[in-house]
Amino acid sequence: MLETLGNLGLGFSVALAPSILLYAFIGCLVGTLVGVLPGVGPLAGISLLLPATFGLDATRAIVMLAGIYYGAMYGGSTTSILMRIPGEAASVMTCLDGYAMARKGRGGAALAIAAVGSYIAGTVSIVGLMLLAPPLADFALRFGPPEYLALLLLGLFVLAYMSSGSMTKSLAMAAFGLLLGMVGIDQMSGYFRFAYGVVSLGDGLGVVPVAVGLFGIAEILATAGQATPPRVVKPRLRELLPSREEWRESAAPIGRGTVLGFLIGILPGSAHIISSFVSYAVEKRLSKRPEQFGHGAVAGVAGPESANNSATSGAMVPMLALGVPSGPIPAVMLAAMMVHGVSPGPLLIQQKPELFWGFVASMYVGNVVLLILNLPLVGLFVNILRVPYTYLYPAILVFSMLGVYAVNGSVVDVWIMLIMGVVGWVLRKLDFETAPVVLGLVLAPMIELSLRQSLAMSDGHYGIFVQRPIAGVLLGVALLLVLLNLYAFVRRGLDWRARLALAEKGEETS
Amino acid sequence: MRARRALAVAAVLAVALPLVAGAQEPYPSRPISLVAPFPPGGVADSTARPVAAALEKVLKNPVAVVNKTGAAGAVGMQFVATSKPDGYTLLLALSSISIIPEADKIFDRRPAFTVDQFAPIALISADPTILVVRTESPWKTAKEFIDDARKRPGQISYSSSGIYGTLHMATELLSHAAGIKLRHVPHAGAGPALTALLGGHVDALASGPVVVLPHIKAGKLRALAGWGDTRVTALPEVPTFKELGYPDAEFYIWAGLFAPRGTPEPVLARLREATRAAVAEPEFRAAMDKLQTPIAFKQGDEFQKFFDADARRLADGVRKVGRVEDKK
Repeated sequence: MLETLGNLGLGFSVALAPSILLYAFIGCLVGTLVGVLPGVGPLAGISLLLPATFGLDATRAIVMLAGIYYGAMYGGSTTSILMRIPGEAASVMTCLDGYAMARKGRGGAALAIAAVGSYIAGTVSIVGLMLLAPPLADFALRFGPPEYLALLLLGLFVLAYMSSGSMTKSLAMAAFGLLLGMVGIDQMSGYFRFAYGVVSLGDGLGVVPVAVGLFGIAEILATAGQATPPRVVKPRLRELLPSREEWRESAAPIGRGTVLGFLIGILPGSAHIISSFVSYAVEKRLSKRPEQFGHGAVAGVAGPESANNSATSGAMVPMLALGVPSGPIPAVMLAAMMVHGVSPGPLLIQQKPELFWGFVASMYVGNVVLLILNLPLVGLFVNILRVPYTYLYPAILVFSMLGVYAVNGSVVDVWIMLIMGVVGWVLRKLDFETAPVVLGLVLAPMIELSLRQSLAMSDGHYGIFVQRPIAGVLLGVALLLVLLNLYAFVRRGLDWRARLALAEKGEETS
Repeated sequence: MRARRALAVAAVLAVALPLVAGAQEPYPSRPISLVAPFPPGGVADSTARPVAAALEKVLKNPVAVVNKTGAAGAVGMQFVATSKPDGYTLLLALSSISIIPEADKIFDRRPAFTVDQFAPIALISADPTILVVRTESPWKTAKEFIDDARKRPGQISYSSSGIYGTLHMATELLSHAAGIKLRHVPHAGAGPALTALLGGHVDALASGPVVVLPHIKAGKLRALAGWGDTRVTALPEVPTFKELGYPDAEFYIWAGLFAPRGTPEPVLARLREATRAAVAEPEFRAAMDKLQTPIAFKQGDEFQKFFDADARRLADGVRKVGRVEDKK
C-alpha cells in the first residue's frame, strides 16, 4: 500500500508537470468535442489524431490519447440528451431517458448528472486500475471464447428488460438487430455474407451509422412530420441543476454503474456499449418504478453514463498490465506506444514506472479537468434547445452526415445512416422501440464468433461450455434467470409490463 | 450578354487548363496520397507514416497518408487499383495483397482487384513470423512440436488473425511443409489471437516477432522457430524452419510500395529513385528502429522476384486450405 502511494507520488510528479498537464488538457478537450459530434466516437477520434502524436514523447502521447478516450465518454452524452442523437455508440441508452428528461425541461439536470456520474465513475475506477491491474488482467485472460459466449448469452436476457412496452415487439426488434449483424465477411470461413458485391460491406454494418440513423435521423423525420411542431423547451437558469431528489435517485445507480462498467471493461470486446446496456437493464430491474424508464428516469441516465466511463479504465487494465488489447481502442493505444519505441507487455509497469504511474495520475487529473470543463458547458449546451427546429434540424443533419462520414471516410456509411433513419421512422410510427436493434447488432457478431471459436477449440463438442468452470457458472446463472422469470410469469400471469400496457391502453380510450 | 460570354470563356478555360497543365506539369507538382488499407496503428499505417515523411523530404512535395480501411484491406487496395495511374495515388500494401485475389477466386467471387493491377515500386520491410507457445507447454523445440503434432493430428490448436489472414497462411505453409494437421481457431485480428494464446485457449501462434518479444522476455512465451530465410536478429538462438529441413515454410509479413498499373514509366522511375533515397534518410531509419522492424529494401527486378515468389507461395497456400466447409 505504502509502495503504491509512493508510486502514485511519482506519477503525480510526472502528471502535474506543465507540459504533461497541457497535453492531458488538450486530450480532454478534443475528446469532449469528438464525443459531442454525432457519430464520431473515441475510436475515430484517437485514430484520426494518432499521427499528430508522433512528434511527442511516449508519455505525452499516451496521456493525450487517453484524454481523448475518456473525454469522448463525457461528451457523448450531450447530443444524446439534447437531441436524441448518440454522440458515440456507448451513449445509445442515454438517448432514451436523457432525451425524455430534456423534453420535460430537465435537460440541464440530465447533463449535470451525466457529468458528475462520469466523474465519480472515472475517478473510482482508476483506483481499481491502480490497485488491481495485475491480478485482474490475469483473470481477464482466462476469458476465452466459451466464457465470452456464456457472458453474452447472459447479456441477451438484458433484452427482456429493455422495452417499456410489448415484449413481443422488443424481441422482434432484437431479432431484426441480430439479422443486421449477420452482414459482412464471415470470420470463420471468409464468405462475404449479404454484401451484394459491395466490398465496403465486408466489415458489416457499423454500429455508429445504424445508431445515429435509428435514433437521431428518425427523431428529426418524426418531428418534421408533425402538423404543429413541438414547442421549443426553453430552459430556465434555476432548472439547470438537478434537484435534491434527482441527486438522491442517481446516487446508487452511479455506484452500481461504476462497478459494472469496470468489470465489463476488463473483458475483451466492445465493452462500453455492453456496459451501458447492462447497467440500464440492472437499474430498471432494481427500480421501484420501472415504468418510469423510457419516460425520463434519472437512474436511466446516471447508471449507463457512469458505466461507460468506468469501462474506459477497465479496458486499460489488460493493456497496461499485459500489453494485450481488450478492444479496438486499446489496440490503437498499444500501437501508439510501439511507434514511440515502448514495447507494451507484462514488464511495462516495472520497466517504465514513470509512464504507467504518470498515466494513472494523469487520469485523476484529466477527470477533474473534464468535470470543470463540462459543468459550465451544461448551461451553454442547453441553450441549443432554444434554437427553433427550422434551423436546428438541418444543422444536426449536416453534422450527423459529416460525423458518420468522418469515421471511415465511407459514403456507404452515410447511406446506411440515411436508410436506417427511414427504417427508424417507420418503426416509430408502428410503435416499435429501436434500442434492441442496436443491442442485437452489437451482440450478433460477437455471439456468433465466440460460439464458433469455442466449437473450433473443442472440435465440435458442446461439452466445452460446461466443462470450463467460469463458462459453466455463467450459463448456470443465465438458466436460473430464465427459470425464475418463467416461474414469475406462471405465478403472476401479468407483470408490470403487461399492467403498464393495459394502463396505457386505458389512457388512450379514456 | 457580356457576362454570359465571360462565363463561357471561363468554363472553357476551366475544362481546358488542367488538360494543358496535365501534359506539361513536372512530376510531382501536387500532393501525393499514400493509401494505407488498414487503420492507424497497424503495420501498414505505422510503416506508411515514416515512408510518407521521408518521401516528402526527398520529393519536396507533400505526401499524405490516407487510411482507407475495410474488408481486411480489400477496400483500400481496390481503391488504388481503380484510381487514376498518374503517380498521385500510391499504395502501401502488406502480404495480403497476394492473398485476397486468391481467396476471391476460390469462392468464385468477382475479385475486388487483381495483383496485376499494381506496379511494384519498392519493398520497404519484411519480417518473418515466428512460432511461439506458452512457456509451460510441453514443447521445448520445433522438432518436439512437429513430432507431437504428427502423433495427434488435429489436436494441437493455434490462433490466427483471421481466416486467410497472414498468421493463418504462415501456419498452413508450415503444416503442409511438415505434413502435420493443426486445429485452426481464427480470431478477429492479431491482438485477440495473441490474447488467446496467453490465456491458454489455444496452444500455438505464428506471430510477427515485435509483438511477442516482450512476452518472451517476460518468460511467458517460448519461440520455437522462425519462417525467415535467416534467423531473427533479436532471437539469435531460435532456428529457422529452413535449417530444420522445411524449406517450404517460408513466410514474411512484408510492406511494399505500389502504384496503379499504367502509371507512366518516367513517374515510376522518379518514385523508385525517391524511395531509394527516402529509406536512407536517418529519420526514417530511426522511426523503423523504434518499431523494431528491419528495413528490407528491394527494388526493380529484385522486388518483382520476391513479390512473385511470395505470391506463388501464398496462392498455393490459399488453394491448399480451400473452402473451409468443403472439407467436412
